[in-house]
Amino acid sequence: MSRKVLLIAVFAVLAALPLSFGTFWINMMITAMIFSLAVFSINFLTGLTGLLSFGQAGFVGIGAYTLGVLAKQGHPPLLAGFYGVLLAMLSGFLLGLPAARLKGHYLAIGTLGFGILIYQLLTNSVDITRGPMGLIGIPTGGIDKQTWYIVMLGVCLIVLAALVYIDRYSSLGVILKMVRHDEIAAQANGINVFAVKLIAFTVSAGFAGLSGALFAAYVRFLTPDLFNEQESFRYMMMAVVGGIGSPLGGFAASLLLTMIPEGLRALGEDNYRLLVYGTMVLFVLWFLPAGIGGLIERQRR
Amino acid sequence: MSALELSGVSKRFGGLKALNDISLSVSPGEVLGLIGPNGAGKSTLVSCITGVLRIDDGTIRFGKRDIQGLPPHQRARRGIARTFQKVRLADQLTVYENVAAGLASRWFSHANGWPLLFRPLSAASIAAAVNRTLEQVGLVDVAATTVRSLPFGRRHFVEIARAIVAGPSLLLLDEPATGLTESEREHLAVLVKDIAAGGCAQILIEHDLELVGRLCHRVTVINQGHHVFTGTPAAAQAEPEVVRAYLGMNQLISGGADDARG
Repeated sequence: MSRKVLLIAVFAVLAALPLSFGTFWINMMITAMIFSLAVFSINFLTGLTGLLSFGQAGFVGIGAYTLGVLAKQGHPPLLAGFYGVLLAMLSGFLLGLPAARLKGHYLAIGTLGFGILIYQLLTNSVDITRGPMGLIGIPTGGIDKQTWYIVMLGVCLIVLAALVYIDRYSSLGVILKMVRHDEIAAQANGINVFAVKLIAFTVSAGFAGLSGALFAAYVRFLTPDLFNEQESFRYMMMAVVGGIGSPLGGFAASLLLTMIPEGLRALGEDNYRLLVYGTMVLFVLWFLPAGIGGLIERQRR
Repeated sequence: MSALELSGVSKRFGGLKALNDISLSVSPGEVLGLIGPNGAGKSTLVSCITGVLRIDDGTIRFGKRDIQGLPPHQRARRGIARTFQKVRLADQLTVYENVAAGLASRWFSHANGWPLLFRPLSAASIAAAVNRTLEQVGLVDVAATTVRSLPFGRRHFVEIARAIVAGPSLLLLDEPATGLTESEREHLAVLVKDIAAGGCAQILIEHDLELVGRLCHRVTVINQGHHVFTGTPAAAQAEPEVVRAYLGMNQLISGGADDARG
């Protein structure tokens, strides 16, 4: 009970932050919350269903560029964003067709390859994406930062609540976890393992695509570098620090791991801050192997 | 009419004939013992029935239907349930959750089952089926316990509960008595009879021949992929071919567990 109160208090504080924070930090928070959707996509895919993906940035890129390109052609941003999510889901489905048959290292390499493929596609399709020159001046509704902040907090909360519900309380959660634990037992209980994996890839890609579409609409400037494999690794790191099976931990990790490197700029502009940052991440994993989510879980028990 | 009927089933792995012209059938409410030494092909046969392996020759009929072309999950949805020799449960989940997962074969068995997946696990229809099964199997006290913290023997019962929760018409028990205490073994015997009384056909693979002799209406003996004998447990001991194949085994069946250990 007290845990619920604490959770509500945390989100109330988060909602009230724009009143006291400067624009710079509000900006960081909004970006962090946009990233957290990509982290949620990993929580769903890897944490629940047990499928590893090192190519999530590819889906983020598809969502972002679809919105960018279509909005610049004069389509309404909302519709363009919808197409972005749809196209990301379609790519997730297509990637899932071969990837759902792969396991472990092979799956990791396969999804990594997909991420690089999308990155190369965004870089080299200069006619559509303007490639390395970047897509500039994406028109969006002209929403102010305060509204963005509240909307993002709302979106994150809804997705978070949905994931926690699926994970802890729904029949679907049990089925996904059965697939993660033991595919042979899952089959023997009437679960079509291949179909479940395919759907997991599709839904996960949808979350990542939504993250990308929101990123494009918020930042209004895209280059392919924002969606390379390094970004995929960063999302994965956030998910791991948060605790792979814990969306709530993933949310906290997205905020922390986005804010801390910026906060550490106080140490000076040289690369010492990256050393400090890296050490912090190592220490979290050393003392909390199950991530921030593990800590939350321990409180719950 | 039999629940399951295999006729002339053969399975080859390269040059090795794992199963050679095996025929057997089991009727609703019947318990068929499947015995044979290690490597006889019992597990291969189970895999062929559940669809993990495709057979090279012969037919497998389940109820009225030829199920050879169906993948494992489709066969499960039609009512073939099984337990595993080495327990395959999600050990971080609770007993309740594991058993509820067994209902998947029912949720997916009709096309409009997908919306059911978003129901909470505590929904009345799920809870009713799971709790009834937990009671039948004797796991009510540990419903909220994670499988990881259960004693090994009781995990077998969780698997049986998961297998029967959706009300299958055929249950394959793969060495369910392995690692059970004496009282758990008695509990298992009562449970198997109870499931049979409900009309479910069962195939019991078991090395504990005393248990086989006590529970099974008929016994099928296979050796090196060949069918050796099918008949009542009592008739098995009189069959010279069975005696020849397994020296002393008839004594085990007739004499019970004491002789076996003596």
